[in-house]
Amino acid sequence: MIKAMDLRKSFSKPGAGRKSEPVMAVSNVSFTASDGEVTGLLGPNGAGKSTTLRMLATLVKPDTGTASIDGFDIGSDVLAVRKQLGFMPHNAGIYPRLTTKENISYYARLCGLSRHDTARRVDELVEQLGMQSYADRRAAGFSQGQRTKVALARALAHRPQTLMLDEPTNGLDVMGTRGLREIIRDLAKSGHCVLFSSHIMQEVSALCDHIAIISDGRIAIADSLDGIKARTGEEDLEDAFVRAIGETP
Amino acid sequence: MRFLVVMFKEIRDNLRDKQTVFYALLFGPILMPLILGGSIIGSLKQLSIDFDEVTTLTVVNGDSAPNLMDFLHSNNIDVVDAPDDPEKAVRRGDIAVALKVMPSFNEALRAGQPAPLTVFVNDGDKESSKQARRVITLLQAYERTIDALRLQHRGIDPNVFNTLDISREDVSLDGAGGQLIASLLPFLLIISMVMGGFYLAIDTTAGERERQSLEPLLSLPLNRAELVLGKYGATLCFVALSCVLTSVSVFFLFKFFPTDILGGGLNFDGPTIFKAFLVASPLIAFISAVLITVSAFTRSSKEAQTYLGVLMVIPMAPFFILQFVTIRSELQSMFIPMMSQYQLLEKIVLGDVTPALHIALSVLGTLLFAGLLLLLAIRLYSRDRILM
Repeated sequence: MIKAMDLRKSFSKPGAGRKSEPVMAVSNVSFTASDGEVTGLLGPNGAGKSTTLRMLATLVKPDTGTASIDGFDIGSDVLAVRKQLGFMPHNAGIYPRLTTKENISYYARLCGLSRHDTARRVDELVEQLGMQSYADRRAAGFSQGQRTKVALARALAHRPQTLMLDEPTNGLDVMGTRGLREIIRDLAKSGHCVLFSSHIMQEVSALCDHIAIISDGRIAIADSLDGIKARTGEEDLEDAFVRAIGETP
Repeated sequence: MRFLVVMFKEIRDNLRDKQTVFYALLFGPILMPLILGGSIIGSLKQLSIDFDEVTTLTVVNGDSAPNLMDFLHSNNIDVVDAPDDPEKAVRRGDIAVALKVMPSFNEALRAGQPAPLTVFVNDGDKESSKQARRVITLLQAYERTIDALRLQHRGIDPNVFNTLDISREDVSLDGAGGQLIASLLPFLLIISMVMGGFYLAIDTTAGERERQSLEPLLSLPLNRAELVLGKYGATLCFVALSCVLTSVSVFFLFKFFPTDILGGGLNFDGPTIFKAFLVASPLIAFISAVLITVSAFTRSSKEAQTYLGVLMVIPMAPFFILQFVTIRSELQSMFIPMMSQYQLLEKIVLGDVTPALHIALSVLGTLLFAGLLLLLAIRLYSRDRILM
């Protein structure tokens, strides 16, 4: 369960002097993502999706506003939040000289699983994500789809209740995308809270129970797919999206 | 104890990287000592003449000076006949030196006049000048013999002409080039330590950022200090391994150093090298900290290599500075990492006294700097900006 309340974050531009005007990356982000549901964070590139997820993952401190993951505050309960959270950043890299299993067990061990537990959990994940054929191969030559699965398995290593995926379908082919969608749906069905960011309409409409549309660093609208269509008076999510961010379709 | 998980992962990961392993296990410990030590042995050998070695000398018109030829022969020089144009042959490098006995040689010798001889030498060629020095030294010895005979023949004691009796005694313990060879040990140890941890430090910090595996790592329920300590620990292991291997290989290398070239004072036996290793060992902590901290500043492997490449000059600096300037080992300089180890290691090899206070200050100063750098690295990893 994720609750974000009025998150704000600005950055000074890298390379610019100290006196330069800071850039507002996220200015007013509030939404809720519930357990057992897939929540989509939909927005164009540069809207503030990644910054929002980074704040929720306690990697970046918000200037103002708060958020909680399963009841733990992201400002004061950092370690508890991270225990609840599996985070797969945008284009997350895996270690090319380690095998699939080694990549996953590294994260499991870092999260405090015992050696025995780790081995069992890794086998479980290999099975769950269908990675048997390359479980013991080094990751150097993996396809994007294989890499994404390893990164996802890694994020799931410590059995987190809440899962955040930043543009996970980037670079995947059709079958890869479908496979990943299936996995995400299964995770939600088994009671996990899944927050999923994307800039692709079809993907969000095909997968998400709940959608938060983000634009220019603020949440324009957050509701179920039907709710968004009803509130914007549009039949198509794309048109609804365009209307929600303040343009006329 | 999660830093151990990080440490073992980084060690395993980097043991699979050929570049890292090459620099840690082969370049510093084996190639560098061979190249440097070999070239120094070579240049020392080129400087010193071995009069017992049998060699050949090309002589023009040798028949007209049979006594001289006999003298040369009895001094380990085999005379061979000259080609048509000895001057050209020497210039081309076909033969090292050539001796020409002038046609008027015998006549002048008999008349008591200076007898003309010409030695063709190519001073641009080290081997040629070395051979020429040997030949001229022998010719001078021959001249002294004849001088003495002539004087005795006229009833004069040859010693009348020996006005001065000059004896030259080298009082330095180490003999020629001793300090250079002594400074070789700290130089080799420090360079191989730096090279040993170089690629691992870059891979685990800047490399991690570059392949975008840092962000998911930082989102784990794990203290960032533990992460930095794990990466530091892995670097430390590689640096330490390089240091140990280099000590061992230096020990074996100097077994092959001819002792007469080394001079009496230099010592590279087991206990000496072990002591040198112990005195140098705080640098393992320091150099690892420098590598980790500098590459933590950088965004990509390339940037890290650039910064560290420039930084590599610093460990070499004492080597070159101490070649020109003799810095008396003072208490203040003992506090400076690398500078102090250079001076101490040189003294250990030269057999000089190394006061316990100096060693203590060196250890303390080096570990203190290492600790400060490590704190800086942890701070760098705690900033938001590490992800930018």
